[in-house]
Amino acid sequence: MSDKITRRDFLKIAGAGAAVSAVLTGCGPMSRYIVRRPYTEMPEYNQTGLNTYYASTCRECAAGCGIIVRTKEGRAITIEGNPQHPLNRGRLCARGITAQQGLYNPDRVIGPIFQARGAAGRQAKTTWDETIPLVSDALKSPADQVAFLMGTAPDHLYDLVNELTTAIGAPAPLRYSALASFEGRTTLQEAANRTFGKPALPYFDLANAEVVFSFGANFLETWLSPVSYSAAYGDMRQARPTRRGYLVAFEPRQSLTGGNADEWIPIKPGSEGLVALALARLVAEARGEAPSAAARSVDPTAVAEAAGIEPAKLAELARLFASSEHSLAIPGGGAIGQHQGLAIAQAILQLNVVVNNLGMIGGVFLTTSEQPATTLTEVSNLVQKMNNSQVKVLFIHGTNPVFELPKVLGFAEALAKVPLVISFATFPDETAMFSDYILPDHSPLESFGYQRLLAAADRPVYSSIQPVVAPLYDTRATADVLLAAAAAAGKPLPYTDEVDFVQQKIVPLISAGGFYSAPEIQTFWSRWLQYGGWWVTEQGLDADISAASGSIAAFNDPAALEEDKQFYLVVYPTQLGDGAGANRPWLQEMPDPMTTLTWNTWVEINPETADKLGIHDDDVVRVTTPFGAVEASVYRYPAIRPDTIAIPFGQGHTALGRWAEGRGANPAALLPAAVNEAGDLAFSDVTASIALTGKRRPLARVENRGGVYGEH
Amino acid sequence: MAEVSIAEKWGLVVDQDRCTGCNACVVACSMENNVPFTGEDNVAFGRGTYWIYNKRMWEGEYPRVAPAFQPVMCQQCGSAPCEPVCPTFAAVHSEEEQINLQVYIRCIGTRYCANNCPYHARQFNFQDPDIPEPMNSYLNPDVTVRSKGVMEKCTFCVQRIVGGRQTASAEDRPLRDGEVTPACVAACPSGALVFGDLSDPNSRVSQMAQNERQYKLMDELGTKPKVTYLKGGGRNGG
Repeated sequence: MSDKITRRDFLKIAGAGAAVSAVLTGCGPMSRYIVRRPYTEMPEYNQTGLNTYYASTCRECAAGCGIIVRTKEGRAITIEGNPQHPLNRGRLCARGITAQQGLYNPDRVIGPIFQARGAAGRQAKTTWDETIPLVSDALKSPADQVAFLMGTAPDHLYDLVNELTTAIGAPAPLRYSALASFEGRTTLQEAANRTFGKPALPYFDLANAEVVFSFGANFLETWLSPVSYSAAYGDMRQARPTRRGYLVAFEPRQSLTGGNADEWIPIKPGSEGLVALALARLVAEARGEAPSAAARSVDPTAVAEAAGIEPAKLAELARLFASSEHSLAIPGGGAIGQHQGLAIAQAILQLNVVVNNLGMIGGVFLTTSEQPATTLTEVSNLVQKMNNSQVKVLFIHGTNPVFELPKVLGFAEALAKVPLVISFATFPDETAMFSDYILPDHSPLESFGYQRLLAAADRPVYSSIQPVVAPLYDTRATADVLLAAAAAAGKPLPYTDEVDFVQQKIVPLISAGGFYSAPEIQTFWSRWLQYGGWWVTEQGLDADISAASGSIAAFNDPAALEEDKQFYLVVYPTQLGDGAGANRPWLQEMPDPMTTLTWNTWVEINPETADKLGIHDDDVVRVTTPFGAVEASVYRYPAIRPDTIAIPFGQGHTALGRWAEGRGANPAALLPAAVNEAGDLAFSDVTASIALTGKRRPLARVENRGGVYGEH
Repeated sequence: MAEVSIAEKWGLVVDQDRCTGCNACVVACSMENNVPFTGEDNVAFGRGTYWIYNKRMWEGEYPRVAPAFQPVMCQQCGSAPCEPVCPTFAAVHSEEEQINLQVYIRCIGTRYCANNCPYHARQFNFQDPDIPEPMNSYLNPDVTVRSKGVMEKCTFCVQRIVGGRQTASAEDRPLRDGEVTPACVAACPSGALVFGDLSDPNSRVSQMAQNERQYKLMDELGTKPKVTYLKGGGRNGG
């Protein structure tokens, strides 16, 4: 520091740095290229003892929340929400807050390695100079035998790979995440297409709604965009001085959203569509309108019986929904992830049509961006091709299919038939262990990029990603690796590197009417990084929606069960997301909100049923479905149907580092590979049996502060 | 002690009707305050360290059963039961901030304070934190890392309060309402937590603390907590 700066000036500078939203660096380390330098050569913008803040985008799930990272001496210290960002407005969930535990995780892949499919004796470190020709040769394989499998984030890499596959004539990249399956994203989009005639994800204006019916949508914890929906939930409850929103949740296992609902209606899994139709009929009748043909075809009393609700209760809820000015029905993953999921989603969306809330405050809108499909059908087709030895090269980035996909799909076995598997994983996850090479990408907090497909944004948003620290290890941006390899393969793309690619992609935004502009790209770029992205100031949802004439298929009654022998199985995601969060120790130690359990997998069973079967807390049980079996300890969960059991997803890793490995069980072994009409995994109409193993393993729960290990 | 005491009385309001029980506050607090993760066995022994925890109590019987969530942190009592029992004066009252602080270097781990705290707010370090390199890189340099045998608890993120006041003082102006936010308040996705200066009758936190839904946790004990809870509508006894 110059000696001209007085102590008073120093304090002023220090103070300016401490105000989070006031000073966001718009120039400095993002001067295009990241250079690794020792911190003895501290750059000017990074003074010892002063905070430097960077705006970026959270990549822990696909929601795309804006973040502000506080760094000090080149270390990422604290992550908070970006108050300006239109999606999360300064808020953040547990996953985003713990992203540094991914960045600084001791189990990261620290450089390119020849992985040799986990054969420890043959593993060897390699160099980027050796691996670029390898990737380049791989890209020169016959185009139809090259496949890319990617995660739901980041979007810029997906866009780049899309251009790359077009250039070399390969099939378009696939995107898969277990979380997208559990959310039923494709189903929701297709249902909106059939109901409103436009293939866009619907946006639910929860904040302004008065009566909300959620069908298996756990929007407070994992569904689509939990942070923005949680904010909307808070406003629905308390932002209006005189009216408090009323939430009703229809789901067999009480999720966090169901737990916060005013009424939780534990309907039978598989009866959601019937209940929605019966409600549509009752609501239309209560409003003095003629019900649709599909709604007329059901008898509300019979439906109530089949779903396990009192008919009077159903009628009461229908009157409530019909009489409110702002009613809203939300179809969530648990309801639509079934064989008849598409029709169920349509029936639930139809409830919004009945109360005519389309494009109205507190109603349904459509988002403006089309979301790329992530269907299981396409992944199954890829597995088929791999099994038929029609895939010579498989590139995997941002997803862990060996862990996430239903075991019965046989991805791991199919992977063995692919001659060359190249993983870009930052962690030695299950899929990376089965790969020939791991060419580690930077961790999200060391990367450039953008997210542009924000499922719950109320306006067009491009959310920027920038490095907040210099890369810790010998990792390289996957975009740069692919660009270099494509050039070496004689199919160059018109970009010099990742930063150039992102800049060229955002050039159209300069004149697109956002909240800032610039005369040229470099100035625009520095603002883009400084603000954490680009968006328009006005809310810009597609309010021009109307019901298309579409019929809904007839529903079957829920599957019949043999009492106390067979159970409906609910598999649900937690704060661990698609399982990638399992190596963040604080996500493991964070108590599950409903059960307060930590660090493990459990089986939830109604205490009444457990008593009948002689099952106690912490007994290890074996849960079996036609597709496989897992063992886990029991948690007697009072808020679940007596004929239903539930298992959280995300644990049961055999790789992924010290905090994830050998912990709990992976319920992917229990899931079918079946899909619904939209191609999403039909995971929630599976029946399971349960058997005591005679073992007992206590679960670490926080609800009992005395501990569960007995006297000590 | 300063000659003129600054009349700052920091307070927190928890709106239980907004709170969803998502536990983002728990994690945000732990990352900000270098609270160590302890592992499965320690949590099972009741030795997990949470400066703020979500008390979840089941209410009702199936099918009309629901959890009542209540985030509980140190209530920063005006008349704190933990303070007079500390033999080493480690549990002290900050006159400047009107909050209750722990001087880690004085603490010898008698745990009398935790025994006397009716809120379960105090956490004991049963071992040294085990944070392997390079994960210790994210540790917040503004907050001490506590060692084995030391009691710790929520400080209302006193490092942020001090930082905010220094900023305001450097800019020669009073602190603005909402300028200082503890980590839990900053994270809270549903906006259930509001922090501010209770001595300013116009601050948001003072206004909210007047709400007719307000109550204090175990007010009958006379601890004078600085945390005000707002009952949830329809549930949580509202």
